[in-house]
Amino acid sequence: MILRWLPLVACALIFAAPSIAGPYYITLLLPAFGYGIALLGINLLFGYTGLLSFGHALFIAIGAYSAAYMTSKAGILHIEAIFAVAIAAALLIAVPVGLLCVRYVKIFFGILTLAFSMLFYSFLFKFYHVTGGDEGIKVLRPLLFGHAFAERDKVSYLTGPFYYYMAGLLVIATAIMRRIASSPFGLRLRAVRDNPQKAEYLGVRVRLHRLVAFLISAVYGAIAGVALSVPTGLADPGLAYWLQSGNLIFMLLLGGYTNFYGPAIGAFAFIFLHDQVMSITEYWRFVFGVLLAVIVIFVPRGLMGLLDRRGRWAT
Amino acid sequence: MIQIVNILLGGLFQAALLFLVSSGLQLVFGVQKIVNLACGAIYALGAYFGIAAASHMFDLGAPRALLVPILLLSGIALAAVIGPVIERLLRTVYERDEHFQLLLTFALILIFEDVIRIFWGTSPQQLGDAYLVYGRIGIGSGILVPVYNFIVIGFAAVFAFAMQWLIGHTRFGAIVRATAENSRMSAAVGVCVSGIYVRVFTLGTALGTVGGALAIPASAASLAMGIDLIVDAFAVVIIGGLGSMKGALYGAVIVGLVKAIAIATLPEIEMLAIYLIVIAVLVLKPSGLFGKGAA
Amino acid sequence: MSLLEAEDVSVHYGAYCALAGVTIGVSEGEFVSIVGPNGAGKTTLVNVLTGLVKPSRGSVRFRGNDIAGRGPVYLSKLGLARSFQLVNIFPELTVRETIAVAVISRLGRGKSWFRSLQADREIRLQVEATAELFGLRGRLEERSGALPQGDKKLLDVASAFALRPVAILLDEPTSGVSTAEKNHVMKLMVAAAKEVGVLSLIQVEHDMDLVFGYSDRIIAIHQGRVLADTTPDGLRANAAVMATVVGKTSI
Repeated sequence: MILRWLPLVACALIFAAPSIAGPYYITLLLPAFGYGIALLGINLLFGYTGLLSFGHALFIAIGAYSAAYMTSKAGILHIEAIFAVAIAAALLIAVPVGLLCVRYVKIFFGILTLAFSMLFYSFLFKFYHVTGGDEGIKVLRPLLFGHAFAERDKVSYLTGPFYYYMAGLLVIATAIMRRIASSPFGLRLRAVRDNPQKAEYLGVRVRLHRLVAFLISAVYGAIAGVALSVPTGLADPGLAYWLQSGNLIFMLLLGGYTNFYGPAIGAFAFIFLHDQVMSITEYWRFVFGVLLAVIVIFVPRGLMGLLDRRGRWAT
Repeated sequence: MIQIVNILLGGLFQAALLFLVSSGLQLVFGVQKIVNLACGAIYALGAYFGIAAASHMFDLGAPRALLVPILLLSGIALAAVIGPVIERLLRTVYERDEHFQLLLTFALILIFEDVIRIFWGTSPQQLGDAYLVYGRIGIGSGILVPVYNFIVIGFAAVFAFAMQWLIGHTRFGAIVRATAENSRMSAAVGVCVSGIYVRVFTLGTALGTVGGALAIPASAASLAMGIDLIVDAFAVVIIGGLGSMKGALYGAVIVGLVKAIAIATLPEIEMLAIYLIVIAVLVLKPSGLFGKGAA
Repeated sequence: MSLLEAEDVSVHYGAYCALAGVTIGVSEGEFVSIVGPNGAGKTTLVNVLTGLVKPSRGSVRFRGNDIAGRGPVYLSKLGLARSFQLVNIFPELTVRETIAVAVISRLGRGKSWFRSLQADREIRLQVEATAELFGLRGRLEERSGALPQGDKKLLDVASAFALRPVAILLDEPTSGVSTAEKNHVMKLMVAAAKEVGVLSLIQVEHDMDLVFGYSDRIIAIHQGRVLADTTPDGLRANAAVMATVVGKTSI
């Protein structure tokens, strides 16, 4: 059964990659870890709870700017501390935003989340005294478990210790999300998705569950933001822009949201696809738009949907 | 005092454009239950195409006074072409979960973004001061308001009445209303429902393209205008209530005025002001002022 | 002991009066049927009794607690469950998962993020026991959306029973079920109620054979008012009510 071994094979490949592939591809792979983590959260919200967020870039930006502040302004370089701050910042924002947004479903939820992310984008852009404006704020090289790896140059650091750290983080994040998804809480989320009214009659507080799913996805988004900002070394307003949210949605659909591993697969597929498309044309949005349309119309369950007929939610 | 009038006029101008686009949204939602996320992209496309059409016509020697008719016609022509095509595409997901409609219209946004890039590049386009051909009116204290703004406001007002007449007092309007209420019944009594869908959608698209075209003299056509519009248009729809034309009118006026006031006083909070109103509406009366649809 | 009671309940939707001055009570151990022609206000009454609609006037109490407009979650905690007239299931969840949602609520396991659902033996056993009661044991792994219509209905009812409620309100439990099957379904429900410990059953039903066959008491609703509130024999004796509620057919 391909499906059962897929996660393990993927894991093995990821950890073996630096020994096999050259620095170019390894550096290319790095964002996939960040996106993969973000997508785990996004799919908890969409695949499991039925809420499609068009503004998840908001939390990625929060994570990135947390990393920027901590390293550049506060001088704290321990990545673990950065993660903690990013998570706290995400929760701080996600609670009020979530409380408002989860009262609504479908289009209204989508527009509200989009609006909040664009509001943040506009804030990042305009208040340049605080946020660095469109130039953003630098993200310095963080310490991994307290080590600076100062002897390594940037590429060596990124394709070496940082790569393994992020891969490990993705594995842990995936394992935790697996646990959540296959728990009673996860089942209740799916009940909320399928039939909120009936779920209420069976004792499930719909809004609370949606809010918690939103909070978890926000936390994952912020962690992803930190992970994404280190290779680029920069936190800039573009991270909150709607196109970023759009990329995430595209990855979600590409990989397939009916399977637990789908979205993460989508992240990796997107990275390669993006690289390939960019080498052919600069109009990648057009290509991806067409691809998304094709997926939505013909292959709505994405790549994993092709392999997994049934839809593996909790296994 | 004059300052206030100036701000009000600015707000009404914005409101006029927003009303055009929002009524397109409301129409399409009311009949086909589709929310067109790509309305912003269509608006932007209308703006770019309008500039191209006007520049071209002026180069051919057309008098500048024909600016407004040219913009209108260019918008309608564009919609006549892309409207049916988009509708046909969306038809594939009518019966499916709403999320797929959202995703498909989102794909359209991506596609249109690059279409604009392909044809016009990334720098904003503008028509310069062609709109000044209609002159300006002094409203006191040396403040001059372009007559063009009044023309647009007037057009929107005329349109509002025309819409009301069309929907309420013509055969076409009756068929549209019937189809909106119950498409199966309509089909059963011989109405070509898909034909109605195409026409309504094209009309909605035209409102978007015309809105974009008419907007350009006041601002440049830029890639960002599409996404800015989506948020504003949805603020209008949320405030006014989904599915209601009257709501589109009131919502547009409110949003337009708030924007104008914000720009004149504290530009940084322009977006924030709109969002605060949207949030307030959602908390106090989620269905909007005149809404029929459920959130 | 009165379990569920409505006192002088009126519901107005603008100028339209859906219910007027309705006073009823259901005691422990009773099987009560609510009957009446379409549009009589039965659905509104059910919605009031299950906390979905707040009455414009009057009070609704369950086990002494005010439940007016409190919502389904509060009610499920108090021990009142409901099944629906139109099939109400979770299309993408399996039969097992559907019943598990109810069991999770009952056992209070809903907050656990990290426990594996599959590994939870207690939940599994209770789900299987409930499925057994309703003849759904063989269909546990099937997707609810793919079930035949009758089984979907049974699942809706079964998941409500899985809450082990003190009282359950069934909205037309046999609608959509073939006449030959109706008695079978009723027997299943009565047996399940006994097994699970449900003290009172309230149903809205149109099939008068079933109503007379199983009820301890019948409440007839017409135009938003209680027309009669009596035993089956008492109702049979009242020709006027029989004519309104049942039509020309006599039982």
